Amino acid sequence: MTQQVLVRHRSRTRASSAPAVRRVRARKGHAAAVLVAPYVLLLLVGGLIPTGYAVVKSLQNEAETGFGGLSSYQRVAGDFRFVETFANVALVLCVWMPLLLTAAVVLALLVDASPRRFGASMRFVYYLPGAFAGIANFMLWLFLLNPGQSPVDFLWHGFGYTSLNEVAQPGNLPFIIAAMLFFQGTGTWVVVLCGGLNGIPDELLEAAKMDGATAWGVVWSVKLPMIRPWLGYMTLLNLAYGFQLFLEPQVLGQVTHGLISPQWTPNQLSFTYAYQILDTPAAAAMSVILLLVTLGLGLLVVHRSRLFQDER
Amino acid sequence: MLSPRLGRIGRITTLLLVAAAFAYPLLAFLAVAFRHDDGLASTGPTLDNAADNWQSVLAFNDGVFLSWLTNSIIVASTGSLIAVVAALPAGYALARLRFRGRRLLRFLTLLTMVIPNTVLVIPIYLEVSAVGAVNNLWVVGLLMGFFPFGVYLAYIHFKTTLPNQIVESARLDGLTDVQTFFKIALPISKQAVALVGFFSFVANWTNYFLPLVLLPLSNSTTVSVGLQQLVSSSPLFDPTNAAGLDVRLYAPHLALATLVTTLPVLIVFVLAQRYLVRGQTLGAVKG
Repeated sequence: MTQQVLVRHRSRTRASSAPAVRRVRARKGHAAAVLVAPYVLLLLVGGLIPTGYAVVKSLQNEAETGFGGLSSYQRVAGDFRFVETFANVALVLCVWMPLLLTAAVVLALLVDASPRRFGASMRFVYYLPGAFAGIANFMLWLFLLNPGQSPVDFLWHGFGYTSLNEVAQPGNLPFIIAAMLFFQGTGTWVVVLCGGLNGIPDELLEAAKMDGATAWGVVWSVKLPMIRPWLGYMTLLNLAYGFQLFLEPQVLGQVTHGLISPQWTPNQLSFTYAYQILDTPAAAAMSVILLLVTLGLGLLVVHRSRLFQDER
Repeated sequence: MLSPRLGRIGRITTLLLVAAAFAYPLLAFLAVAFRHDDGLASTGPTLDNAADNWQSVLAFNDGVFLSWLTNSIIVASTGSLIAVVAALPAGYALARLRFRGRRLLRFLTLLTMVIPNTVLVIPIYLEVSAVGAVNNLWVVGLLMGFFPFGVYLAYIHFKTTLPNQIVESARLDGLTDVQTFFKIALPISKQAVALVGFFSFVANWTNYFLPLVLLPLSNSTTVSVGLQQLVSSSPLFDPTNAAGLDVRLYAPHLALATLVTTLPVLIVFVLAQRYLVRGQTLGAVKG
């Protein structure tokens, strides 16, 4: 079939004249415009216009009456909590990311190596907590963290904790949040990676076995390289997720009545500027800073994992 | 080197242990929903208790919980429907067509994909309130329809699983690019539709910030924001405020309400699961 297509393709190319090629190109441009139009509209309304607005807003002066240069950035960066919020996020990421990457890859490989039915049911169990994303996961953890009710109360008693406020003390927060994120997110990535592993053509795996590769050899030289784009994407998305942390420290702070700083993450600081200090330019500046940080990280990962690479 | 048998035992043990570690907290949480607790005494799990707890959740603020659930369903389904309708053709065009602005669009997709969505919440709020559309469920649904990750998934899908020769032969048969998308590419893309629909539905359902800011009225918001209202009015965490309420919610009520909010996500997962993991589009090439 492939050869036939190629032959037909060649004969047609030879016959086409320059104006015809131009016509085809114009039509293609038109087709592409039709196909991308709905998305472009959403991109404008949900992404570009608000982003542009944040940049413009961040360059206003504090009274929002005129141009303020970088003064709002100076206000935000000069805030005594500024560095602390980024340090907090970095701590969470240091605990969470290695755990997540290792566990997701190992579990996906193990599931992939298992018989269909058993593997599928394990994958389903790992995914279950994913249904508890966001506030639902938080509710579950509120119960897990409370020594009075927790099914893991032996753990808290082992540490000598007797109340929620002792468990959720600020020093433990990076670990608690990392555990929350690990619990809710790992299964989803196992599902994604299993999809990637399933997509590997059988011929490739058989060829590797014929060449005498061991099970480890196949994992190392066939499976891992094939899911590498997904690993890059996973790292990227989760780094970004780390920087948007808000819900967990915010609500945990509320239920422990001020035990945790209401400005624990950069986003909480931004939120404080917007809704409590009512300094919109500073809130916008904080948003732009966060945007640049996540974008820098993102581009690095994209570059290294060859995401969106043009093969043609 | 491990013997195959030892390897097999190790693999099964690891998978089962991890499964137990994930399932145990969930099961324990599930059991709480079936307990009775009125702040004075608590009793073991029974079905009757769960039914009573459910009545209390429903009674809270004249059944606001059901309104929250309805709002969530409207917003999340609208959002994922729009996401699928926009992402599939866009992903196809990015992967298979050459057009001016393609690189830019790809770059912008990537850019908006990595922007934490909360970064945009305040600017989006200003944009929406400028056109007077705050407190409108459909506007929230529309905004949730912007799902660059879905475009990326569709892009990867068409790039990796749609063979070039199929597209080329469709072109030679006289189909336009738009026709090729609808008649050839879309019918073999159930998996991509499921992926985009599934991920966007879950993201919409669990979204907390957008509804928090764009649906500020307490009974017109979604269930994710609503759950937090339940927690903050529980005597467990705010005894003074809760003393004045008719319906007092304790751990079992909160657990039950939480479990109910996770059901739609589970249902969608079960519906989408077979597409999520099967690389079935490969069949078109192999066959």
